[in-house]
Amino acid sequence: MSSRHTWFTALQIKKRDGLRRAAQSALFAAVAALGIVQAAHAATAEEIKARGYLSVATEDDFKPFEFVDNGKPTGYDNEMLALVKKKLPVEVRQQIMPWSGILPGVTTGKYDMAVTAVLVTPERKGTFDFTSPLSESTTYYAVKKGSSIKSADDLAGKVVGAQTGSAMLSDLKAFDEELKKKNGGKGIKQIVEYQSYPETYQDLALGRLDAVANTQINLNSLIKTRPDTFVLGQKIGNPVYIAWAVKKGNSAALEMINGALLDLRKSGEMYQMQKKWFGASFESMPQSVN
Amino acid sequence: MTAFDYWSITQGALATISLSLASIVLGVPLGLALALVRWARVPGLNGIVYSYVSIVRSCPTVTLTLLVFFALPQFGISLDPVPAAIVALTVSTSAFNCEIWRSALVEFPRDQYDAALSFAMPRATRMRRIVLPQVWRASLPGLVNEMTLQIKSTPAVAVIGIVEITRAALRVGSNTYEPLPPFIFALVLYGLIVFVLIRLQRMIEVRLRHGGIA
Repeated sequence: MSSRHTWFTALQIKKRDGLRRAAQSALFAAVAALGIVQAAHAATAEEIKARGYLSVATEDDFKPFEFVDNGKPTGYDNEMLALVKKKLPVEVRQQIMPWSGILPGVTTGKYDMAVTAVLVTPERKGTFDFTSPLSESTTYYAVKKGSSIKSADDLAGKVVGAQTGSAMLSDLKAFDEELKKKNGGKGIKQIVEYQSYPETYQDLALGRLDAVANTQINLNSLIKTRPDTFVLGQKIGNPVYIAWAVKKGNSAALEMINGALLDLRKSGEMYQMQKKWFGASFESMPQSVN
Repeated sequence: MTAFDYWSITQGALATISLSLASIVLGVPLGLALALVRWARVPGLNGIVYSYVSIVRSCPTVTLTLLVFFALPQFGISLDPVPAAIVALTVSTSAFNCEIWRSALVEFPRDQYDAALSFAMPRATRMRRIVLPQVWRASLPGLVNEMTLQIKSTPAVAVIGIVEITRAALRVGSNTYEPLPPFIFALVLYGLIVFVLIRLQRMIEVRLRHGGIA
């Protein structure tokens, strides 16, 4: 009886092994598929002109850069895209989707360009090429009104939130390292990662977070809308440029857009847009950030 | 929240309902077909269905959606968001439906099947008259349960740009910086949809008990 029992258990284990192998091979297939994607070449200028359109992806919840108001995508990047469109020889097909789908969409070649606020970071330069910058910003933190956090150093021992996979999160982590060096090992108590910022602000309002890290531009927009609840803190990162991104090596789409963007800077239209959406303009940005 | 915000979330509900409906209409019969393959132990196919169900059940719907949308173009199949979402949701629900149908098939008394066989009843009639009416009755609660889960897993396809209830609510919240009111409205809409579905299940069950349909 007991030997039969062991035999049965062995069979069960074997079965489970088979299952795991099946799951593993599925994972391999997925990774392989993404690998092929990386190898796929980018469309040339002629190819884009021949098919007659440029496909772009834009976020829907990163106010004031891009958000949806009364059912229509709006914000700085959407209005800039409308200006750029007028100068392009081809049509633009835009898909509005969450941040989590945008960069995969560009690396797999589903979209030619991410027309959304992408912070230009050294890590991202390995995978993407950037257009001429559209804005610049610095990572700040915001707190709830009446918070005991008076300066950036007060973030030691506190819980801070940021968006997962964002450049602001990297800035926050770098700031945490600095804080630890300064305070002999005592840094931020916990960094919480969120899918997007609306939930992060909600948790700050509820008191589950002590602070939120985001770009100064985004936080200004938050505080303008809810001055009774939130207060802007200090900067915790260095200034970075914000641009649209294409897959590394896709120079055709890049050149097409860059021409239009630089024209809009020359005519001052880009700076007007910046004043409209950010309350400030950035006229000393370089022409290229790659 | 403006009137338009309520309207935009209601529009999201239409997307939730139509996507769920499409994947249920496709996924329930597909699940039955898969379950019948396993029940009949069709050589070769049996193993394939077993692996399909195991892999799909271990794969989160979000991951499946991303794979369908971003990886399939590499094999020459480039789908738009809506078809991609329907494919991902159907594949996902069919695996779970397969197991629900199969559990009813496993419990089905074989002697009834053998009795029908001894009367030389043709295979199609055997299935239609003897097996399916009973299996359908036994599977209904499980199938409706899976449907309610299916409705609530539609937010997974928001990742490729589909605006269903949850995404529409998030969009409103990210504009007003007040995420709570849109979420409460979203919850009410989900509640209504599932309530209608459950009433439908009760109606069908009552009619089945009174010896009505099938």
